Amino acid sequence: MTGLLIKNFVRSKGLMTGLLLLFLSGLISLNVGKHFLEKNQQIIQQTAHFQQENIDRNVKYVNKEIGLLLYYVRFGLANDTPNLAGLSIGQRDINPAVLSVTIRNLEEQKYTTDLMNPMYQLIGNLDFSFVLIYFFPLIIIAFCFNLISEEKEEGTWSLVLSQAISPLKMLRLKLCIRYVSVLTVLLLLLVIAKFYLAIPVDNAFVAFGLTAILYISFWFSMSWLIVSFHRDSSYNALLLLIVWVLLTIVIPASINAAIVHTYPIPEAFGTVLESREGYHSKWDQPKEPTIQKFQKHYPQFNRYKHPEGQDYSWLWYYAMQQMGDDEAAVHATDLKTKLRKRETASSIIGLFVPTIHTQQNFNHLSQSDMANHLNFIEEVEKFHEQKRLYFYPKIFTDFAIADENWKAFPLAYFQDKVSVSWSSVLIPVFSICVICVVWAGINFRRPLERNVHYQ
Amino acid sequence: MRFSVLRILSRQVYRSTIKKRSTLWLIGIFNLMLLFAVVSGYQILTTQQQIVDEYSHQVRHRWEKSPDKHPHRMAHYGYVAFRQKFPLSFFDFGMDSYVGNAVFLEAHRQNTVNFSEASLSNGLLRFGEISAGLILQLLLPLVIFFWGFDLISAERENGTLRILLTQGISWPELIIGKCLGLFSVSLTIFAPVAVISLILLFCNEAISENWQALGYFAILVVAYLVYLLIVSLLAVFVSAKSNTSKSALTKLIGFWLFFTLILPKISLVAGQSLYPSPSKIEFDTAVEQELLALGDSHNPNDPHFKALKDSLLQAYGVDSTHKLPFNYGGYVMREGERLSAETYKRHQTKLVAIYQKQQNVVRLTALCNPFMAIKNLSMALSGTDYATYHDFENQAEAYRYKLAQTMNELQIKLISNPTKGSSGKQAIISQKHWAEFPDFSHHFPTFVHVFQQEKLAIFSLIIWISGLYFLVTLSSKHFKAF
Repeated sequence: MTGLLIKNFVRSKGLMTGLLLLFLSGLISLNVGKHFLEKNQQIIQQTAHFQQENIDRNVKYVNKEIGLLLYYVRFGLANDTPNLAGLSIGQRDINPAVLSVTIRNLEEQKYTTDLMNPMYQLIGNLDFSFVLIYFFPLIIIAFCFNLISEEKEEGTWSLVLSQAISPLKMLRLKLCIRYVSVLTVLLLLLVIAKFYLAIPVDNAFVAFGLTAILYISFWFSMSWLIVSFHRDSSYNALLLLIVWVLLTIVIPASINAAIVHTYPIPEAFGTVLESREGYHSKWDQPKEPTIQKFQKHYPQFNRYKHPEGQDYSWLWYYAMQQMGDDEAAVHATDLKTKLRKRETASSIIGLFVPTIHTQQNFNHLSQSDMANHLNFIEEVEKFHEQKRLYFYPKIFTDFAIADENWKAFPLAYFQDKVSVSWSSVLIPVFSICVICVVWAGINFRRPLERNVHYQ
Repeated sequence: MRFSVLRILSRQVYRSTIKKRSTLWLIGIFNLMLLFAVVSGYQILTTQQQIVDEYSHQVRHRWEKSPDKHPHRMAHYGYVAFRQKFPLSFFDFGMDSYVGNAVFLEAHRQNTVNFSEASLSNGLLRFGEISAGLILQLLLPLVIFFWGFDLISAERENGTLRILLTQGISWPELIIGKCLGLFSVSLTIFAPVAVISLILLFCNEAISENWQALGYFAILVVAYLVYLLIVSLLAVFVSAKSNTSKSALTKLIGFWLFFTLILPKISLVAGQSLYPSPSKIEFDTAVEQELLALGDSHNPNDPHFKALKDSLLQAYGVDSTHKLPFNYGGYVMREGERLSAETYKRHQTKLVAIYQKQQNVVRLTALCNPFMAIKNLSMALSGTDYATYHDFENQAEAYRYKLAQTMNELQIKLISNPTKGSSGKQAIISQKHWAEFPDFSHHFPTFVHVFQQEKLAIFSLIIWISGLYFLVTLSSKHFKAF
């Protein structure tokens, strides 16, 4: 029986074409991922190269005052991209891979975006996560929607019933063959990805693979459930397609709209205005209060004084710059809190929607989600602060430019850590699968014979 | 083709489809979804308008209230420009969420337009956004296919097709008649949202400055009607061509998947590899290097600026820049700003040309993909396409340039020459000059502009509707009655 079913499956032209289509689109997506990783790598290398060049040139020409030199010099921090991100590009094509900042106020620098074609972001990347989340279910639906009804509609159902083997067992076998075939394509793609994109086999990759397997298992259990109602082919197809449209388009988009509506972010514009005001207005104000505020923030610089009667000093200038950040701090913190809230809200809702859950897991594991970007921004803040604290005393004492080792400032890297929480990765979709299969089991327990004449 | 026959056929299709409970449910659900989409879109629009108004007002207020100071300080203080949403943007969100909203405009520097909705979003946005445009372009065709896939094939399977044909009904009449019936069912979904949108459009305050939106809306409605007609005709045509209803349905769903999901992404990959675009670091470095080659206004020995100085000294017959009858610093700055803005513009134009080429690959597929045609046209008319955004970028940059140069002019004219520093009494001018500089206001492209941009989309919709019509009328011999 099993042999015959397999033979039947392999000989079916439609099914084999389906698998081939999946495989091909999977390969294209891996290539897209590779292209993305290379471009990313290239951006980082170029930045590293130009940073050194930029420092060298400025040191050569702006060689009198270190305060003026540091007005120009940029220090870059790159957000390290794991190769796994080639499989799920997520928000990485929106958020910049590197931020280069001067030690002046950070607020005006940290929201800088990379150049991009918005049409591409609108259409979205053809990455592996897309192929898995959108295409795999369609093929699974095409494989399963007429699991029973084709036998009925072709008149072979009574033949099946008259066999020694129980009809349910045969259906399970048919489903298993389809499941194994799709699973094989998936695993094959993951293995190819491992070598093609040089992805290290670590917890993140294993969790990624398990998430993918669970996701296709979900669609098989969903199809199994729909099929268990014993309706005709077109009804099953319609129902499954509606589920697909709901899960991949309507529900995620509605949830996104709800989240944006619940957590509006007017603070974004506020930060721009406050930081600009905080810095620029100080030019027209007496110098002492600005310097006092600065020294309240950094008591360790109390001993540096603005030279009496002088029109200008670097201490005053950088104190003004500091005020840009300090006065926008409330808005900037609010902005970050709101973004974290958006992130949390969507991951909680995602627990109940397999498509969202899968996409978010992928983005989390491949460090291409918003949380990663926020971590990166926080690291940029630390990085910037550290550079400030290093250079402030040198600026205030007018340290000689030639005495600094300017080779010691290469591009820095930020390595985010992914914590794999196995239960939240696996349990939600797994429980939905179990619900579908149990429900289908209850449906199948009703006598199948009664449906013989159903058309 | 007889009108009375068409009317009978279409009415029959309309009545039999609308009779079904499932149809009523679908119509109900779609109307609710569309209502939700336009109302929430409208809310987003008005909220954004309020926020932009409030913050623009603040920017202006702070600008005008800035104390007396050196004009170059004002040029650095700069301005913040916010992108307005077009009144019709609630209908089709297009790229609105992927393009920036606020840009800091200052002297010497072109900043990026920041805070796009996408940059403030987690991955959810990438599943798409529920806007009326998305529902009508993507989901409604699927429903039309479900209503229409068996309109002729079922008649063939039941044997009633032969009876129809022996009654003297021609194939074109049959197909067009059924198509019109299907089309009229789809109107039960499209018409309400069109009316509500029109009302919302009138409700919006910004409409008084953008009356062209009403004209755009009229064209938009016509375009969607043509699109729905194409989809209906396609459904009936495929149904007539296919042997069984099942194969008709499979073909139509395959068609839908290919045109809405696969082809756009494939054309994107193709565009990306055909026309690679530079990253920001490449772009900035190229601009910087060219500027360094042109001349560094901060470097006293730079040949370009030295030549400028010498020619000035000669023309005015003086031996030092301090003796010039105008502020020399301002003069140099004006020249520097001109050079840097021109260089930036040249590179920016090149970059946009690359983007356009990339987009043209996607746009070109509209010729064989009605979905892409309506998507582009709808975005353009709703003011949410790339051209509209780029137009904003240009306006912001033009304003930035004007601001910097106006401040330089003020410096040249009003600041005495031998001053040192920029806070001494002679280096300060009155704040009344700030109010004289006009506010930034964002204008939307005119119809000619939109038409220029999207003529390919309009053309391809016309090609599709007329092509299908000719296919139906010309190839009627090839259809099978049983």
